[in-house]
Amino acid sequence: MLVLKNKDTSSLLRSEKKSLSRFLTLYATMVVLLITLLSLFYYQGKEKLMLFDQRAMLTKYAYIQTKRLKVLHHYFDERTEYPRDPRFKSAIYDLEYKKIFSLLSKEKIHFDEEVYIAGDTIHLVKALDEFYLGAKYLVIEIPNDGAWRGEGWKNIIGYGFLALLFFMIFGLYLAKMFLKPMRDSIVLLDRFIKDTTHELNTPLSAILANIEMMDTEMMGEKNKSKLARIAIAAKTVSVLYKDLTFLTLEQDRKNHDENIALKELILDRAEYFSVLVQSKQLDFSLDLGNANMMADRRKLTRVIDNLISNAIKYNKRGGTLGITLRQGMLLIWDTGIGIKKENIPFIFDRYIRFNESEGGFGVGLSIVKQILDEYHVLVEVKSSEEEGTSMVLRW
Amino acid sequence: MVKHGIIAVLIVSSLFSENIYERSCVGCHKELPTSLQEMFKRYLLVYSGEQNVKSALKHYLKHPLKEISVMDDLFIENYGIKDKTTLSDSDIDEALDSYWEKYKVFGKLK
Repeated sequence: MLVLKNKDTSSLLRSEKKSLSRFLTLYATMVVLLITLLSLFYYQGKEKLMLFDQRAMLTKYAYIQTKRLKVLHHYFDERTEYPRDPRFKSAIYDLEYKKIFSLLSKEKIHFDEEVYIAGDTIHLVKALDEFYLGAKYLVIEIPNDGAWRGEGWKNIIGYGFLALLFFMIFGLYLAKMFLKPMRDSIVLLDRFIKDTTHELNTPLSAILANIEMMDTEMMGEKNKSKLARIAIAAKTVSVLYKDLTFLTLEQDRKNHDENIALKELILDRAEYFSVLVQSKQLDFSLDLGNANMMADRRKLTRVIDNLISNAIKYNKRGGTLGITLRQGMLLIWDTGIGIKKENIPFIFDRYIRFNESEGGFGVGLSIVKQILDEYHVLVEVKSSEEEGTSMVLRW
Repeated sequence: MVKHGIIAVLIVSSLFSENIYERSCVGCHKELPTSLQEMFKRYLLVYSGEQNVKSALKHYLKHPLKEISVMDDLFIENYGIKDKTTLSDSDIDEALDSYWEKYKVFGKLK
């Protein structure tokens, strides 16, 4: 048995939203990935450009230091003071990468790179042609002020945000374009139902009025049962008609909320459906306490009609239909065919029908859910296949 | 007699206290105008690292050739190239270790 507790409005729009959110999530991930990648390339490019700019100056410093090393080599070891310069720091390493002398603040040297960033400094590694003092490598270090980095980040954030914004707007446009065929088909179906509903009104009213007016006392038993069947058919169509009218024409009408005595309303609707109940030889089990609810009578009638109508439609011949009413709780249950476990989450979706043996458009429970959500009524669905279904409303 | 004995002991002990570098290299190089330090600097200039310098020196001591000498032509014209060493490999290594320790740049710069 599965219980559905769902306060969200379930309609076809939900699947539309789901498709939209899936597409947008995938799209946004791709866009963010693309922008990150571009930002990375931009950052690396900016870094290379800065190093290229610094390289000329570093090479000049290396040239100056090499000349000084040459002199020191010549006078070594009468002179042993390593040449210093306020503009840069330097170090010398031998062929085997052993440090001969160093004034550097960052001692980790990348001998395979010519110019690189080492923390807050920039290093130039110069391979000497003549190994003064045995030095094969001369490393020049200057401070890295990081101004280029600040500017780079500013550009990445600024342009990245603009690109993200542009791509997201474009993505929304794309998503709407992809969803248009689905939306069009829904609009078409809505329009068809709206047009059809108009045409149903007059003949249906005429049939129901004439059934009421017919003098059954003069009829034979055979004709009486025929009339009862006509009445059942007409009332079934009438429920469908009212649903469709509600869905297409009246749902935006202003509510006329009033304090409704639910017991009277349910008795009235049970009476209305009594012909259908009898025709299916159902046992009607009513246990009605006193309960009130502030709601629009027309809307609440749609809820009760649909729940009772479903409990009759999907019941087994000779089964039981029960209604229990207490303050804050209404239970409508049946001993019918039940609903498959995997279908329960979708029963309130519009145009969804799981049993083709019965007629209908699949709009009834969608209307029920829409109205219940409007009045903040919680609905629980409990169902087991071949055992029955119960709907519990709590407010 | 005692005095002579002491002098003999001192001479022998001073001979044995000198390492192979002092005994086999310094003596001959004293006669040359270019010091052993100058030659060391020439090796550094060409070969850089410790192992490289030692290998080059060892090779030159074993196979002295005008073409692979680090000295300039004028020096070679005047003094020629040295004779092939008679030292064993281990003695050469020991002498070179001493030579390297004496003139290396490591730890001398300020």
